[in-house]
Amino acid sequence: MIWTREHLDELRALLGDDGVLDSEAARFTYEADALVLERMMPDVVVLPRSTDEVAAIVRWARAHDVPVTPRGAGTGLAGGATAEFGGIVLSVNRMDRVSRVDPERMLAWVQPGVVNLSLSQQMAQHNLYYAPDPASQQVSTIGGNVSTNAGGPHCLKYGVTLNHVLGLTAVLHDGSIVELGGEALDAPDFDLAALIIGSEGTLAIVTEICVRLLPKPEAVKTMLFDFETIEQACRTVSTTIAAGIVPAAMEIMDQHTAALVEEWLHIGLPLDAGAVLLIEVDGPAMSLPPQVERILALAKAEGTRSTRIAKDEAERALLWKGRKSAFGAYGRSASGFYIMDGVVPRTRLAEALSIVYRLCRERGLEAGNVFHAGDGNLHPHVLFNSDDPEAQKRALDASHEILRMCIRFGGTISGEHGVGMEKRSMMSELFAPEDLAVMERLRDGVNPERRLNPGKILPGGGACREGSREEVGASARAFAPPSHGGQSPRADVDGPWI
Amino acid sequence: MDLTSTLGLDAARLVDPARYAMSGRAPRVALKPITREEVSEALRAASDDGLGVVPWGGGVALSRERAPKRYDLALDLRALDRIVEFEPEDLTLTAECGVTLEALRDAVSARGLDLPLEAGEAWGATLGGVLAANASGARRLAIGAPRDRILGARFAIGDGTIARSGGKVVKNVAGYGIHRLLCGSRGGIGVILEASLKLLPAPETRTAMVFALEAAQIANVALWSRFPRLEPAVLTIVGRAAANLNPVLAHRTAFTAIVGFEGEAPHVDEMCKLTREALGTPRLKLPGQSATTLWQALADLEELQGPRLSFAGAHNTPGALAPLLSGRLLERAVLHAPFGRLHLFPEPGADSGATLPAETLVRDLHAHGFALIGARGIEPFEPPLAPQVAVGALRASIRVALDPRCTMALGERWATG
Repeated sequence: MIWTREHLDELRALLGDDGVLDSEAARFTYEADALVLERMMPDVVVLPRSTDEVAAIVRWARAHDVPVTPRGAGTGLAGGATAEFGGIVLSVNRMDRVSRVDPERMLAWVQPGVVNLSLSQQMAQHNLYYAPDPASQQVSTIGGNVSTNAGGPHCLKYGVTLNHVLGLTAVLHDGSIVELGGEALDAPDFDLAALIIGSEGTLAIVTEICVRLLPKPEAVKTMLFDFETIEQACRTVSTTIAAGIVPAAMEIMDQHTAALVEEWLHIGLPLDAGAVLLIEVDGPAMSLPPQVERILALAKAEGTRSTRIAKDEAERALLWKGRKSAFGAYGRSASGFYIMDGVVPRTRLAEALSIVYRLCRERGLEAGNVFHAGDGNLHPHVLFNSDDPEAQKRALDASHEILRMCIRFGGTISGEHGVGMEKRSMMSELFAPEDLAVMERLRDGVNPERRLNPGKILPGGGACREGSREEVGASARAFAPPSHGGQSPRADVDGPWI
Repeated sequence: MDLTSTLGLDAARLVDPARYAMSGRAPRVALKPITREEVSEALRAASDDGLGVVPWGGGVALSRERAPKRYDLALDLRALDRIVEFEPEDLTLTAECGVTLEALRDAVSARGLDLPLEAGEAWGATLGGVLAANASGARRLAIGAPRDRILGARFAIGDGTIARSGGKVVKNVAGYGIHRLLCGSRGGIGVILEASLKLLPAPETRTAMVFALEAAQIANVALWSRFPRLEPAVLTIVGRAAANLNPVLAHRTAFTAIVGFEGEAPHVDEMCKLTREALGTPRLKLPGQSATTLWQALADLEELQGPRLSFAGAHNTPGALAPLLSGRLLERAVLHAPFGRLHLFPEPGADSGATLPAETLVRDLHAHGFALIGARGIEPFEPPLAPQVAVGALRASIRVALDPRCTMALGERWATG
C-alpha cells in the first residue's frame, strides 16, 4: 500500500507518538535480524506496550491489508524477524514487564519483551530461575524464545522453551485475543499453546507468557577436557549419555574455534587440542562428586589429555565466556560466515563432523565448529571472504550440503534457531510434499491471509495478497544495501550468539 | 446398508463392532488395519462417504466415554505395534501407535532406560492412545507429559493423507508442531500412526515411601511447604477408599501419602531423610522395581474407580486439599500434588458429599483453584473447552483446515467456534 501521513497518524493514535517509528534511520535498525544476508526495510515500526495495543495494531493492519512481522531482540539467525514483504515490524521491546510472580507455585507471567537473562536475575531473590538459556540470553527476549522454541546449552537436561511455558496470551490474525493454557500444567482443552510455541510468529503474536520457574541448583561443577581429536570428544559425549548420565550441558569447540577464542580472550584453552569439551553437571551438592568422578573416568577412557575443573564461580564464568564468545571470535577472523543449526543423532556426531570438514575443504573453505554436543545440535560455521562472491557461493553450497547430510543421517535442519527465511527452501528436502501441504493447510487455517510474519517457515509462502515468492528474499535483495553475506555480528549488540 | 462394501474395504480386516462400544453404543463397522496404508485407505473411504471415524487403541478411555453423534467406523490400531527404531545411546525411540505401554516399557528398561510415559492399564494402553489423551501419571512434573516427550509423529488426517511433523532427534524446531497438537487432541484431528519419543536414562535409585495420614496433616499447609523445592518425583495423596483398592496401600487412616524420589543414591537418601523429618516414619519403604510397580498402581487407581472427574490447578502441595476435607468427598480421591492434578470419583447412590451433583462439585472445586479437565462416564459432562469465543474460533479453524469433512468424529465439538 502507499503509506500516507494519515496512516501514521492513525497508528500514533493507537500507540502514542513514541510508539511509532517511521524515519529511515529508525527503520534501518529493523531491516534485518542477525541474518544480515536478507534485509528489507519495514514501512513502519510499532512499539506497543500491551496485548490490547498489539490487537489494535493487527486489526488496523488487517483493515489496511498490511503484513505484520513480530520481533523480539532481533538476535534470530534465520531471518524470522525480517519484514520480507515490508509493512509493519511489531517490536515487543517495550512489553518488558514481569507482570506477576508466584514464588510458592514457582511460576511467573511475563510480557514477551522481557529479556531472558533478566528474568532469571529477577527471580534470583526467590532462589528460582528460568531454565531455557539460549546463548543470546543476555539480549534475546522470552517472546522471541517462544517463537523459535529456543533451547540453549542447558536444554540437554532441562528441556526447551516448550517444556517451561504453561500458558500464553496471543493475538490472532484478525486481532482477536486468545488465552491458551494457564497456570496449571494441564489445561481444559487441547494444547494450542504447544502449537503456537515454535511457530515463529506465523500463527499468532504472543503477548503474555506464563513460565515455569525452577529452584536454582544447589551446586554446579563445570569441567573442561581437551582431546587430541574431535572424535574422542564426541565419543565421550556418547559414552556419558549411554552411561545414564545427563549433564546439564555438553559443549564442544573444535581446534579452529578454541584457538580463535584463546587468541582473543586468553582464558587458557589449549591451542593444540583437536577439540575441547565442556561438561557441566548441576543439582544437589552431594550428588555431584560421584557424577564428576564417573565423567572423569569416561573422558580418561577416551583419551583426554587434561582436565580442568572450575574452582569457583569466576572460573566457571570464564569457561562459559569462552564457549559463548565463539561467534565473536569467528567475526574477528573472517568477514563472512554461514552458521548452520542442523541436528544429527548424537551417536553420529563424529562422522557428521568429518563430513562437515570434508565438504568445506573440497570447496577451499575453512570451517569452525562449536556446538551443543549433548543434543547432537551442530553449529558449523562456514567461513569466507565476504568480498569474494564466488567464495560466498561456495560457502552457501557447502552449507546446503551440510544440512543435507543432517537430513540423511536422520536429523533435521534446525535444532533451535528456527527456519525463518533462511532455511525454508530446505524444508522441501526435509519433508515430503504432503507433509508441507498439511502444514500449509494448518498455517492458512490459522493465519488465512498470511498477514502474520508472511513468507516464513514454509517454502513458497507469500504475503497477504501480494503473491508468493519461491526463493529467499529475491525481491528483498533488490531493496537492500550491499550484503556482507551470511550471519555476522550486528553493530548495535554484542551478538549474535549460537 | 453394508458399510464394508460401500467403503470398498477388505473384509478380512473386519472385527466385531460390539467390542468398540462407547458407553454402550457400538459403531456400525469396526476394522483392524494392519498397515498405515490401510488406515489411510479406510479414512479416505470414510471421508468420501461422510462417515464418522473413531480411532481406537486399548480402549482404556474410550470404552468409558460417550460416543460421538456420528459413530460409524471404529478403527482398531493395535495391529500397528512395531517398535520401528530404538537407539538406546541416543535416548530415542520410534514406534507404531498400537504398541502397548507395557511392551515399550519392557523394551526400554531392558537397556537401562526409563519410558517417560505413564498411564493406567499399561498392559492394554497403547502408545497412540496415551499420546492422544496426553495421559500422564504421578511423575508428570518430573518426567513431562506426552507433549513434552514427543519428538515427531507420522499421522493420518481425516481425508486419509499421511503426513509427518517433527523428527527423530532430540532437538528439532523445523516446521509446525502438529505432533504436539495431536497430543491431547483425543483422536479428534487425526490418527497418530507412529511417534518418536525422547527417553530418559533409568535413575540410579528410586525409592517410594508410604505414609499413613489423617486429615489434620493434609490440612497443615506448613507441613508441605518445603516439598516443592525437594522436587519429589511423586507426591500423591490417596483417599481411604481408593487406597483400599490396592493391597500395598490399604490402611485405616483417612489418607495415604506416597512420596517418591529418583536420582543418585546419596541425593535420594537425603531427600528421604528430609521427608521423614516432616512426615515421620513411613509405613512402607519400597526400593527400585517395587517403586516402579507402585507408580503404575497409582495410575491404575485412576482407572479402577468408575466415573471420574479430573481437575488441574496450579497447586503444588497436598495443602490444596485443605478446603475440601469436610464430608466424604475425598474418600476415593487421588491427588498428584506436585502438579495439582485431582481425580474425584463421585459415587452414585452414596449418602455423602461424594454424591454432590457434578455441577456443584465442579463449581466448588473451581472456587478452590481446580479447573475441570476431564469427565469420564458422568453424563452429561464432557471435558470442557476453554470458554473464550476466539479460542473456539481458533480451534475450529484448525479442525476445518485439517479435517474439513469432520471425518474424525471425536472432533465434532471443535467443528464450530
